[in-house]
Amino acid sequence: MSGAEIFLQQLIIGLSNGMIIALIALGYTMVYGIIELINFAHGDLFMLGCFAALTLVGLLGVDHSAAGSPGVWLGLLLMLLLVPLFCGGLNWLVDRLAYRHLRDATKLAPLVSAIGVSFVFMNIGLLWGGVPMEVFGFGRAAAAPKNFPELLSNANLLGQSNVQFSRKDLMVAAVTLPLMALLTWFVKRTRAGTAMRAVAQDRLAAQLMGIPVDRVIGQTFLIGGALAGVASVVFAIYNNTIYFQMGYRAGIDAFTAAVLGGIGSLPGAVLGGLVIGLARAFCDQYIETRWTNVLVFAVLILVLVFRPSGLLGASAKEKV
Amino acid sequence: MNILEISNLTVRFGGLTAVNAVSLDVPEKQIVSVIGPNGAGKTTLFNAITGIHEPTAGRISFNGAEACRPFRVATAMMLALIGLIAALSALLVVNIEPLWDATITANYVYQQPFSWVKAARAAIHYFDEQLGQRFVVPFIIGAVTGLAGAYAIWSRSRRAPEVAARVGIARTFQNIRLFNQMTALDNVLLGMDSRLGTRFWHTALRLPLYWREQGESVQRAMEILRFVNLIEDAHQLADNLSYGHQRRLEIARALAMQPRLLLLDEPAAGMNPAETQDLMKLIHNIRDRGVTVLLIEHHMPVVMGISDRIAVLDHGEKIAEGSPTEVRSNPRVIEAYLGKEHGDTSAT
Amino acid sequence: MATRRRILFHWSFLLVAALIPVVELVLPGHPHIGDVLRPILIMAMLALGLNILTGYTGLLNLGVAAFMAVGAYSYAILTCDIYPFRLGFWSATLLTVLVGLTVGLFLGLPTIRLRGDYLAIVTLGFGEIVEDVLKNLDSITKGTEGINPLPSPTVFGYQFRPETYQPWYYLFLGFLALLVLLNRNLRRSRVGRAWISIREDELASSCMGINPMKMKLLAFALGAAQCSLAGALWASFLGSSGEPGNYDFQVSIIAVCIVIVGGMGNVGGVLLGALVIIGFNSIVLETATDFLKAHQLISSTNAFTAPGNWKYMLYGLALILMMRFRPEGLLPSKQLKAELHPEEPHAPPPAP
Repeated sequence: MSGAEIFLQQLIIGLSNGMIIALIALGYTMVYGIIELINFAHGDLFMLGCFAALTLVGLLGVDHSAAGSPGVWLGLLLMLLLVPLFCGGLNWLVDRLAYRHLRDATKLAPLVSAIGVSFVFMNIGLLWGGVPMEVFGFGRAAAAPKNFPELLSNANLLGQSNVQFSRKDLMVAAVTLPLMALLTWFVKRTRAGTAMRAVAQDRLAAQLMGIPVDRVIGQTFLIGGALAGVASVVFAIYNNTIYFQMGYRAGIDAFTAAVLGGIGSLPGAVLGGLVIGLARAFCDQYIETRWTNVLVFAVLILVLVFRPSGLLGASAKEKV
Repeated sequence: MNILEISNLTVRFGGLTAVNAVSLDVPEKQIVSVIGPNGAGKTTLFNAITGIHEPTAGRISFNGAEACRPFRVATAMMLALIGLIAALSALLVVNIEPLWDATITANYVYQQPFSWVKAARAAIHYFDEQLGQRFVVPFIIGAVTGLAGAYAIWSRSRRAPEVAARVGIARTFQNIRLFNQMTALDNVLLGMDSRLGTRFWHTALRLPLYWREQGESVQRAMEILRFVNLIEDAHQLADNLSYGHQRRLEIARALAMQPRLLLLDEPAAGMNPAETQDLMKLIHNIRDRGVTVLLIEHHMPVVMGISDRIAVLDHGEKIAEGSPTEVRSNPRVIEAYLGKEHGDTSAT
Repeated sequence: MATRRRILFHWSFLLVAALIPVVELVLPGHPHIGDVLRPILIMAMLALGLNILTGYTGLLNLGVAAFMAVGAYSYAILTCDIYPFRLGFWSATLLTVLVGLTVGLFLGLPTIRLRGDYLAIVTLGFGEIVEDVLKNLDSITKGTEGINPLPSPTVFGYQFRPETYQPWYYLFLGFLALLVLLNRNLRRSRVGRAWISIREDELASSCMGINPMKMKLLAFALGAAQCSLAGALWASFLGSSGEPGNYDFQVSIIAVCIVIVGGMGNVGGVLLGALVIIGFNSIVLETATDFLKAHQLISSTNAFTAPGNWKYMLYGLALILMMRFRPEGLLPSKQLKAELHPEEPHAPPPAP
């Protein structure tokens, strides 16, 4: 492959993975924007979504279908409907049970709680992998990574070119781009979205205006979780492997993306996601895979030290 | 002699100008009040004096000098040192594996004696060969990052609040900011702490020097608590004190810093008449001890009763200044507080 | 400023702990309590290091395992005979503590201006970076094999052996007691006051003349040094540096659990937390697993039956429940203070 082709290939991979990271980052940034909590468990929620997707695949018997067959499309559709529902609902539930009572506590309490939830999710993922279904290897090795069947073909849509662009890449874009547009419309044009922005800006004022703050926060968790759910379906189909500890890495990548773009800013999360996805792809190719994780962290630290408001965010001052 | 001279101070936050070209001279050992309607910029003024907000324009000089860390030769040397350390670290980080291989792995035979001289020579030889990418580039990047980072951190902290505190400016806050999980005594001791000099190991190992200084500090702290009439509450958690006592504790903590200038931000807020009288007496006593007091207050009896001079702010600008009598009858002041149509001169 | 009652309290604890290996000898079956307590002592030291950062200064650090790893590997490099240094126990330990101090300073530097939650994530990153670096620099650290074997230490002329655990127990207990003493002394001094004031209200603290940057760096340096010491002792006990994967996020979170469950900012609380958490991990879980295995209730194909597979859930629930119902920990600092000496004035003891 020529240099340009390698570059183009990494570009495609980077953008596809970047869009997945962006979806997860959106969930992070929405929750942070509204209650200033880093939802540590968000990455693990994404992991649970992947497991849920795999379970659906097993239940629907789609793992035995040929890639690209009508049964697969139906299965995909169902996954894209049910898994976000599952993740959103779970996220909403966690807020209700664990975070709601800590609204006025010190900053550290909800964060530590979120770490606790993350661990609980991780354990659920571990045990889920032991469920005696065929897709989970009949529960023989709960902790081992699980294979996600090839639901879309790997055939290169660019024909004989050295650069690979398959239906999977197309699917990633086809799902995430309209979804992001939908989200923007929702946040800007609907009452619920406006209420979210109001609560994010000034919770007390919103409350005084009659906005049901707890309900709005719950809705934010629901939507953020649903986005993670979509990301998990897309990821599973694109990458074909899931394991119960994947939430950690995904969470770090997504959080870095959210911070890079400006935490609290939705376009920022998308931009950050794409940048991180590309950075990972290029680092894998041009430097060394073993340093990619270090690079992502270095980006995070540099952003937080030199420009904490991120690329598109606004800085906040403490009132004395 | 003016202990504080503010010339043309402007503090702007984005689009909002909180303080607009305010000039104020505070003479030594007097009680000067700053009054004005809410949002006039009084607390912002205090924040600028104590280093919380950076002035957008103008000068604040305390005791004839600006309250900020000067850029001395020592500072430059420290920055250079940090740059050097960063450069060496970068060098080490990039080269550690091959350097280790060249010096130790190549020369060490299991359990045989090891020649450090040979290792040193191997290291020098390694760098001789690698001059270029693995030496010069990391060194320069490290030095630049170290210098830039250190300078950025240093310059951002030039006017930091602790600098103002150390030159002798202490303050209380509009919303009480005590350390609630510490006792009253501990709060006051903390005010003193920045002036203590006990070395780290004396503290950690409880050597005699520590005990001596500790005894003196506690004694002085108790005296301050006695001065503000809080001695019975010395061992109570700050959280558990009544509101009026908390306000007094904040003043005690500020006094523990042995300031030359004390800024009180609405000390009489929420107090009943008896407490207010006690507060006025206290402020007088503080002034008599040689501390200059700058006061923000809304409670007019307090302001008129104890101030030597009053400055009036409105919408970020100073609209009047003078003795209590002068200010009381100033039409602009009345207008600012009561609005244009009222001619009522009773300023109590 | 110790009061008589409190000193008595502490000394009696120490006495009890010191007597455990002796008491064991007369108990039937010679239960090796001291043996089991060793990891608890090490983790207590690690948690004390974290306590300086999180309990006192309020800097939530999710990557203390990195400092422990630095300590373990430094000690290993300095003592293993595959490298030319081959230092004795005391010099290696001292150097390791210095290395820990330096690493703490370095890692603390970028974080001093960060807010609580961002700081937590960055420390998480450091944990990861250190683990990756240790894995990747394999010609120095031997990658995933770890550096071994390490010679057992010779302390005051006495040669330790892996089989007899009692000397190890006393060595660790001695170090732990020293750290407890140091931490308490710092806590009840201007250093501790400064740290706590930063945790409560950093802005007000700086207005009182405290330099938050300096104090935070000090907290990082001292916390890292303590964690490195724990790592060094652990490595000497294992006879190996362990592999980088041993010092991962899990270990950091266990330390966080200890501090939070036990009582943030309170040394006694941290010790209790270590006992509860590690005791649970090593003793309860293992006993349960053995019991279930003996009764053939654990099936290799059913992941749900192995108690070890529920570990994360329990840690997670512990954190959630503590935050919800008792965020100050089991043994909170001010309560202990009020319980032990309600009305006594803080007078210094007579000069020696």
